[in-house]
This record gives sequence, structure tokens and C-alpha cells, in this order.
Amino acid sequence: MNNGIISRLSLRRYHVQIWLFVVPFLLGAMVLTILPALATVAVAFTNYNAVAAPTWAGMDNFMRLLSSVYVRISLRNTIYFLALAVPLRLLGALLLALLLQSERRGFGLHRAAVYLPTVIPEVAYALIWLWILNPVYGPLNMLLAGLGVQGPAWLTEPGTARFSIVLLSLFTIGEGFVILLTGLRTIPRSYYEAARVDGATAWQSFWRITLPLILPWLLLLTFRDMVISLQNTFTPSFVLTYGGPYYATTFVPLLLYELAFDFFDFGMAAALLLFTYLVIGLIIMGILNLVGSERGADDF
Amino acid sequence: MKKLKSMIHHSLGWVLTAVFLLPLLWVLVASLRQVGLPPPTTVEWYQPDPQWQNYQTIFERVPMTRYLQNSLVVVATAVPLTLIIASMAGFGISQLPVRPRRQLVYVSIALLIVPAAAVWLFRFQILRWMGLLDSLWALILPAFTGSNALFVLLFYWTFRRIPGEMFEAAQLDGATAVTIWWRLALPLARPTIVGVTVLTFVMYWSDFISPILYIFSPRYYTLAVGLQILNQLDRTNWPLLMAGAVVMTAPVILMFFILQRFFLHDLSLSNLFEKN
Repeated sequence: MNNGIISRLSLRRYHVQIWLFVVPFLLGAMVLTILPALATVAVAFTNYNAVAAPTWAGMDNFMRLLSSVYVRISLRNTIYFLALAVPLRLLGALLLALLLQSERRGFGLHRAAVYLPTVIPEVAYALIWLWILNPVYGPLNMLLAGLGVQGPAWLTEPGTARFSIVLLSLFTIGEGFVILLTGLRTIPRSYYEAARVDGATAWQSFWRITLPLILPWLLLLTFRDMVISLQNTFTPSFVLTYGGPYYATTFVPLLLYELAFDFFDFGMAAALLLFTYLVIGLIIMGILNLVGSERGADDF
Repeated sequence: MKKLKSMIHHSLGWVLTAVFLLPLLWVLVASLRQVGLPPPTTVEWYQPDPQWQNYQTIFERVPMTRYLQNSLVVVATAVPLTLIIASMAGFGISQLPVRPRRQLVYVSIALLIVPAAAVWLFRFQILRWMGLLDSLWALILPAFTGSNALFVLLFYWTFRRIPGEMFEAAQLDGATAVTIWWRLALPLARPTIVGVTVLTFVMYWSDFISPILYIFSPRYYTLAVGLQILNQLDRTNWPLLMAGAVVMTAPVILMFFILQRFFLHDLSLSNLFEKN
């Protein structure tokens, strides 16, 4: 009995200690992530220059957003980027995962090679592309010339500059690739064997087994990529073109940076952020709705 | 037929490897080119007269040594701090009763979704109020959030897979939570520790946005900013710019080869997802 009391006491002590283990993380996350994020939401409705106390502005910032030509350009660029980069990155990651999931000899190396560009530091990666895309010194136009194609000027023309930012995002798909490899491995081999016994072709088993079972992973990746790859336009557009030429590569994160840290218009910057992620949230809900109505919501 | 298919499959693998790796070889070759030479007429696959002193020149043009030092200080502080905070949190969460455990897992997942840009503005303010703006601490501080909630979750998943009886037995022997975490749990989480170490290293080593936002004095610039300075100094001096890119990338690639054993081979990552 005595023993029981002691162990109950020690158990309680253990539980207190366990809570203390979580405290540093919760405190850090609270101070450095949750509070800043909440404050950003609140400040979107105020005038705030980061020095004087914020004053209530209601919807003013949002009205200014809608009438600002720079905001309109940056939103258009961002939507262009999302509409092109997210599906292409997803498709690329899926194709690579399907092709390279094999356990044959040498495929470990192929998988490593595909992942490698993803770990290159962003600035170095941007500088490498600055060189690759250079019309005179860069290897890309030399390769194109070898094929008899006159390469464009890339970063000095608005259209090709905007596309360049998409292009360089297509080779950093390692994370999606690994996540989909993991997803593919969760599909039991026996499904494919049963399908083969029933005489299904590889194409059929892809559409009937692989795709439906990997769909939740694909959706998750799509949503993640919409947030992350948008964020990842910052460094390339900062280093390669600084938003130019003619604002062609001014995406929301860069404009946000300019508004907040060059003009100290925190209110407007916060409103832009809120508006952008509201739009992204709506797109995500739209996709969920579309998929949900087609397959029945019970899959989620 | 089957043999042909296998051959096509293999050659496709090699083609993909080439597409993803060759640009890196080109960069290495370009970094050894003589400065000021007229542009090449074809893609260069090797350098007949490699100019290794390009790597010395970048250290003379800009205070690269200082930048390198700062980057190393940030990494050397942030990585161990992240490992402690994230593994403690992961361990704590895994030992809590069902309800708070689930809630904290949800909190961690919610933290994963917060876009980085959403914290730019007020991290700036909080750092200013703490007096840490324009110091290396501004770059290290995110370690107190576990650097990334994913790391906390990775540790959590790892510790959940260790049979609970082991910890209970140690508890009954009067072991404190700290002892159990340090002596029992951590030694069993070695692959996770290695994985998180590498990911954290890459994260802080590569961080470009935080120093751009929170550092103003050149003496606190890290390598990432140094590269941008090199770029602004002379935008068309390709050999030097590429040498800078190589210096910045080499340690990460080294780390990556440690990582790939844990993430791309076998099933380590899938193991983490199967049971939680």
C-alpha cells in the first residue's frame, strides 16, 4: 500500500515534469509564431507604421489594396505562378515518384539526384539560374542553339522573366517527391498482384488503384505547395530580377516586403497578406468541394 | 519484351539523374573559368586551365571569412538548440494523456500551415522589443519554436513507436522524466536525430530571408547575404559568382549525403507515417 502511494506520488511528479518538457516549445511557438500571426491579422485593420501606436482604420487598407495597381499586378503574377507552378510541380513529383520507386539497382542514386537541387541554398540556387539563363554566358541558350533554336533573353523580357521563376521552381520538387514515394509505398503490393491476375494492364491499375489511393496525398501536397511555393518566389524574384522587368516578377511576398520594410506600411502589408491567403483558402475549399462531390466526402 | 522494358526504365533513370545533376557540374566548371574571358561558344564540360584562385579571390573581394564565421555560429547554436527543444517537446507530447496529447499534435499541425510571410512583420517587432534586432540572435531565435513544427512531430512519432512499458518501468524505478528522455528515449531516436540535424543545418545555413529582414550591420551578415553582396558587386563576373555558389552549396551537399540514407533509402520515412 505504501508502495502504491509512493508510485502515485511519483506518477504525479512525472506528469508535472512531462508538461515542463512541452513548455519551451509552446512558449517559443506562442511568442515567435502564433502571436505574430495573430497580430498581423489584427493590424490589417489599422494604420500602423511600426513606430507609432496603430490607429483603427476599418476596411481602409483593403480598399487601398483594391485600388492599387501594384497590388493588382502582384496578385495577377501570383495567380499566374500558382496556376502554372503548382500543377507542374505536382505532376513532376508524381511522375518521378512513379518512375523511380523501383527497388532495382541504381535507383537509390537516381532518387538522390532528383532530390539534390532541393537542398541547394536558395541564394546559391538563384545565382546558378541567373547564370544558366544568361543569354550570352549561360548554358541554356547554348543548348538551345545546338538544337537550332534561338533562345530568348529570359530575364529582360517580362513574359519570359515571369516564366523563368516558374521554371526554376520545377527542379526543387524533392519534398513532394519523397512524400509521394512514401505514399506509393503505403499501397499494398497485393492490390497490384490481384489486378494483374485479373488481367489488368499497367495503365488500368494506375487509374484504378494507384491514383485513387494516392489522391489524398496529392491533395495534401497541392495545398501545401500553394502556401510554400508562393513563399518560395521571394528569393528568386529578389535575387534574379528584383520584381522586374516592369513588375513582371513582383509576386505578393516581394510586394509585402517592400510595403512593410521599405515604406513601413505594416497595415497595408498585413491586409495584402490576409487577402492573399483568403484567396488561397477559397481556392483550396473549391478544390476540396470539386473532389468531394466527385468521390464522396467519406474518403477524407 | 520484359528485358526491353527494364532497359528503358534504367536509361530513363539515368537521363533524369543527368538532368538534375549536370547543371551542378556546369556550375563547378564555370567557377574555375578564368575571370574576364570572352563567353564560351558551347557548353563547357571541363576547364582546360582551372583557376582555383577564384575561390581565394571571393574571400578577398568581400569579407567572406566573416560571413562564413557568422553562418557557422548561427548553425552551431541553432542546431543543438533545435534538437533539445524539439526532442523535449516530442517526448513530452508522446507521454501526455490522450486528450492533451491529441490537442498538442493538432497545434503542431496548425503551426505547420502558418505561412512564413505571416510572421515576418511581427517577428520584426518582437525582436525589436527584445533588443535582439540586428544581432545573430535574431537568426537563431526560431530554434525556440523547434525550428519547424515538423521536427517536433517527427520526434513525437519516433517516441510513440517505442513501447510505453519501457518508460513505465523506468518511472516505477523512480527515474525522472529528464533521465528517461536523455538515457532511454534519445538513444533510441538516433535516425530521427540525424535527420533533424541535417534538415536544421540546411535550414539555418540557407536562410536568406531572416538576415534580409532582421540584420542591418555588415558585421552580422551571413554567407547567404554575402553571396547577394557578391552578386551586387559585379553581376556578370560569373566565375566568382559561381565559386560563391559552390562554397555555399558544398557543405549542404555533404550533409545531404548523410540525409539521403535516412530519407530516400528503405522505408524510414514511411515507417514514421504508418503508426502514430
